[in-house]
Order: sequence, then structure tokens, then C-alpha cells
Amino acid sequence: MKVLRFGSILIIALSFVVSAYAHHNAAGVDQSKTVTLEGTVKEFKWANPHSYLEIEVQNSKGVAEIWNLEMMPPLYLVNAGWKSNTVKFGDKVKFTARPMKNGDPGGLFVSITLADGKTLGQTAPRGGAAPAPPVYKP
Amino acid sequence: MEKPLIGRVGMAVLVVMSMLFAASNLAAQFQPPGTLGVLAPDNIAKPRPKAPFDLTGTWLHMSGESERFDPPAGFKLTPQAQKHYDAAAAATKEGKVYRNDIGLCWPAGVPIMMTRVWPIQMIQLPTSIFMISELMNSLRIVYTDGRGHTDPDIVVRSFNGESIGHWEGDTLVIDTTNFRDDHHWIQDRAGIPASDALHVVERIRMQNQGKRLEIEFTLTDPKSWVGDWKLTKHWDRVDTRDIAEVECLPDLNEHMPSVHSPDNIR
Repeated sequence: MKVLRFGSILIIALSFVVSAYAHHNAAGVDQSKTVTLEGTVKEFKWANPHSYLEIEVQNSKGVAEIWNLEMMPPLYLVNAGWKSNTVKFGDKVKFTARPMKNGDPGGLFVSITLADGKTLGQTAPRGGAAPAPPVYKP
Repeated sequence: MEKPLIGRVGMAVLVVMSMLFAASNLAAQFQPPGTLGVLAPDNIAKPRPKAPFDLTGTWLHMSGESERFDPPAGFKLTPQAQKHYDAAAAATKEGKVYRNDIGLCWPAGVPIMMTRVWPIQMIQLPTSIFMISELMNSLRIVYTDGRGHTDPDIVVRSFNGESIGHWEGDTLVIDTTNFRDDHHWIQDRAGIPASDALHVVERIRMQNQGKRLEIEFTLTDPKSWVGDWKLTKHWDRVDTRDIAEVECLPDLNEHMPSVHSPDNIR
């Protein structure tokens, strides 16, 4: 019985490992892997509580498929140097993601490398230490 | 053809009655007729002892402390809660996730609403404390104007429940009841549900010259577990953060592959 109870507590403890900052869990994502692919940006949504990217990638059979990438909120992206217009429709990019376990195209966004070679990730604003966003100058 | 006078009078009475009924239904919080709302200037101006501290500010659940409300060692669930717990444990064992309700835009509800990694802004008045979590802009109002809980037979149950606060020395005590049950969890990852019998008592103290909050939670729910669960959590004041509109929108959620993964056990 003690073993069972310990097992239950262990399961609860393990459940913390999934990303704490998302408003939901990372069901179906293989957190132990990353993939890096090249493709063309179809859509970039700058939104709370999650931004997302859709990138068209030619798969190994030469068929185009859309990779749906779940991202952190804009505050995390701003901390990592993003703006809402950092990527746009048609941009050629390279990206790294934690993929879906079942092989569906998509997963959790890790980083992107833009055509100019610049690489951007996402950075937590933990503890309120986030720098103020730059002042907008038209 | 002229309607009989009694018919026209009857119709007029019906119209007036229905208008009065509709007007009374506009009150979300059921209060005795004539009771002042918490933002009524005459209520705010009533003489009351000075509050020992002011929660007004932006608060973030302390880094490094679990955001979850875990059961104590040796906890015992009721059979109906145990079914969910077992199903969640089986799902976790298979690398799957049980009932990801918050991910599907259901409100986290009290107490989980308090420990999201999103900041909570609090505004304290003599009559009430407004708490607004940035995540889904969830609103919690703590009534401190001396009112009691609403009759459970007429209350509209909610995820954040009904919070009534009072001061005991240097401590703010908040008593929250009248929760709704379905899709409401105490520990969502472990599949421990909250029922409509959930009762949350929070004892709140200010620490570190007003820079840190400590809340000691006592959670009881005779429909879900046996006895009291006690947990203490902390929040840091973050003067460099504000909150924005953060809605959980269906079209945005469609683009979250983890939300739609078959590894979600509904």
C-alpha cells in the first residue's frame, strides 16, 4: 500500500515536469526531442495567451505540409527580441520545435532562424524582471 | 373591438411586474433589497477600522514554489473523486493527459486561479478586494463590507466561488464557498476534482515590508476528500508588470497542437 501511495505521489511530481508557463499542458508533444526544418511562413499570430506560427514544409516525400507551432505569449517573445512583424507571410525560415509524438506536423516552438541568419527563441519574464518594451516611435 | 377594461389593466400590471422582475434579475450578487453595493460611495464611506495592510498591487506567484494544490501525504479521496484520480494516474502512466479543461478554456477557478504564472492585480477598498488574474482576466471579488454568504439555494455557483473576507488582527481571513463542480479541479494534472461542497479558507499575511504575501489555505470538500488539506503559498509584489486582455479564444486554441492531440483523455 505504501508503495502504491508513493507511486501516486511520484506521478503527481512527474506531472510538474510539463511546461509550467503554458495555460495548458503539452499533451502529445515529445519533450525529449527537437527537430529542425526549413520552410515558408504561412501565418504568424501575435496573441495572448499563446502566439503561433504556421510554416509550410516539404516533407520527405516532397509533399507540402503545414507545421503548426505553439509559442509563448508576446511578452516572452519581446524578451527574446521579437516584434509582431519579425516574420511575415512568405518568409523563408529555419525553425526548431519539439515535435508531436504521433508524427503530425507541429509541436512546441523552440527557435527560428531568419533569412538574415538571426536566431530568435523565447524568454520567460519570470520574477517581474522583464525589461520594459521599447518605446514606439512612428 | 375594444378590450374589456379589466383585461387592459391586467395586461399593464403584467408588463410592470415583468419589468420589475427583469430589473431584479440584473443583480448578479443576491443582496437583501436596498443593501449597498461594494462600490457605492455611502458603503465605502462607512466608518470601519483601518485595514492592517493594503493588497493593492500586482502580485506574481513566487518562483520555485509549486503552482499546484497537491494533497497531503496519506490523503484519502471519496469514491467519486478516486475514479478521476485513477483515470488521471493511468493517463499519466501512458504519457497522456487527463481532462485538460483549463487548456480547453474552462476557468481555472479558485484556488488554482491564484497560482497561475500570470500576474494578479488586486485593488483593495474598504468594502472589497478586486482580484483580476491576467490569465483569462478571471475576476474574483472578496466582499469585506460585513455581508455574509448568499443563500446557497439561490446563489449562482461559480468557478471562483463567493468570497467573504474579514480582518483578524494582522491577518485577512477569506472564506469562499458556493463553487460549481463540473470542470473545476483542485489538482487538475492529478485529476482531483472540486465539488460544489468545496470550502476554501485563506489566511493572508503581508511579509517583507509589503513585498511578499503569504496565504495559508485550508481546503475541505467532503464530496471529494476526507478531512482538511492545508497548504501555504507565497506571492511577490511586481511593480514592473501590468496586465492585458488575455482571453482563451476558440480560433486561437485551434492552432495549439497540444490541445488537440489524441493524447488528451477527455
